[in-house]
Amino acid sequence: MSRVVILGAGVSGHTAALFLKRRLGRDHEIVVVSPNSQWNWIPSNIWVGVGKMSPDRVVFPLAPIYRRKKIDFRQARAVALRPEGDADNPQGAVDVVYTDPKRVGRTERIRYDYLINATGPKLNFAATPGLGPDAGNTVSVCTPSHAVDAAEHLAAVIDKLKAGEPQTLVIGVGHGTCTCEGAAFEYAFNVEHELRAAGVRDRAEVIYLTNEHELGDFGVGGMTFSQAGRRITSEAWMESLFRERKMKAITQAAVTEIEPGLIHYRQIDGSANTQRFDFAMLLPPFRGVGLEVFDRGGAEITDTVFAPNGFIRVDANYQAKPFEEWTAADWPKTYQNPSYRNVFGIGIAFAPPHAISRPYATPDGIAIAPAPPRTGMPSGSMGKVVAMTIADMILRGAAEPTHTASMGEMAAACIASTGTGMRSGTAAAMSMSPIVPDYSRYPDTSGRDPKETTGNIGLAAHWVKRMLHTMFIYKAKAYPLWYLIPE
Amino acid sequence: MDDTQRRIDAAPLPVARELRRRRNLILQFLRFVRLNWTMYRLARHHH
Repeated sequence: MSRVVILGAGVSGHTAALFLKRRLGRDHEIVVVSPNSQWNWIPSNIWVGVGKMSPDRVVFPLAPIYRRKKIDFRQARAVALRPEGDADNPQGAVDVVYTDPKRVGRTERIRYDYLINATGPKLNFAATPGLGPDAGNTVSVCTPSHAVDAAEHLAAVIDKLKAGEPQTLVIGVGHGTCTCEGAAFEYAFNVEHELRAAGVRDRAEVIYLTNEHELGDFGVGGMTFSQAGRRITSEAWMESLFRERKMKAITQAAVTEIEPGLIHYRQIDGSANTQRFDFAMLLPPFRGVGLEVFDRGGAEITDTVFAPNGFIRVDANYQAKPFEEWTAADWPKTYQNPSYRNVFGIGIAFAPPHAISRPYATPDGIAIAPAPPRTGMPSGSMGKVVAMTIADMILRGAAEPTHTASMGEMAAACIASTGTGMRSGTAAAMSMSPIVPDYSRYPDTSGRDPKETTGNIGLAAHWVKRMLHTMFIYKAKAYPLWYLIPE
Repeated sequence: MDDTQRRIDAAPLPVARELRRRRNLILQFLRFVRLNWTMYRLARHHH
């Protein structure tokens, strides 16, 4: 019997757990370690954050699902990896600290034959002084509880607007190296939609504040697609949408500090600016969760397994090189750790070889460089291919990974909500192939397949976003035929 | 300073016909089917 331990139960880790159990059956053991008791469909947190969806509709408890699927669930936080085992036992192990109420604080060393690191990120609010709900100046929609808090603050702002008090709302990212600009964009437009619905839009100024070099970059270098028979860039597409909705935007910005009611930010030209606000939702940058790694003798070897940003090294080309030399081939295919072949890293937890968008910095070196998104569709695919690879290693004795899912080859669809409502909702539906531009394959079309790179705005895209909410929660609950729903 | 706000102010607005298309239930239903097919195809063939 083999034991596969999965750290994290988000989109990638949970997908991997379900597919592994389906392939391996009862003959092998699947252990999921997650500090959270609940699964969260994060893309819908934006609707919780505007008060249009209750938080219980974006989460469900993991324990009953894993009990039904006969997966061993440990509500615990992984703190250390011991890929060579320890003095007592050469088998790899992970040290965990339990977080469930019955065993809180207890520690355990869990042995594994294969390990999948799918911990997701640490929300690094501390990278910007004054950022985040704990500092009390800005809100977030990264977690359901953050989103509930954001909705309460937004409701208070709407009350002030109704009382005739003008308000400035700033929504975007809170650091020069943030990712997930798409989520900030969605929340900005959903807030604007709710202000219109409340009849107070004319008294509110809504500003989108981002580290993107131009609108529509989304951390993937933007897109070019066909619309009504002509080629249009995502930048021009978004500029039109911002004008239509009377939204303002500040791009090329690195937020450096937040004070009560005041955002300090620097821009690429070196200018130091401030923006006053009454309400601000600024996403934090991400970093790895801070796992330490030890060799068999107990010496710390974290740097050999994890990159400096705390994400796990996989089969990517991490050689430092200028933007002009980046290629789609640099991106990992199998997600296998090069030092320990029975260890894999997926979802946000894997260390990307470099950004996708061109990185910039202020003259004095403050990075304004969107980090590459690796959530949603590609994250689920990574979970599935790593599960299939490990299953082949266990069942067929495969020596090398048998399945691949490179972001340099994968396509992705992104549905960015711009307002909710079955009749009044809208969303921007974008698809791109591949996610990481491949300039050698598509030299004349910005590195992407023009047939598969598309953009649409309208009610239909909102219906798709709403349908995906229901469909992926169904899949995550492992209801009958869940595996037929694509990642 | 970035010139994004200037570009937004100069961006073309969607014409009235396009705004109607975005709300037309029949057209949007057809687009909904097409979007689903596109996403299904992407997921099956590129993942």
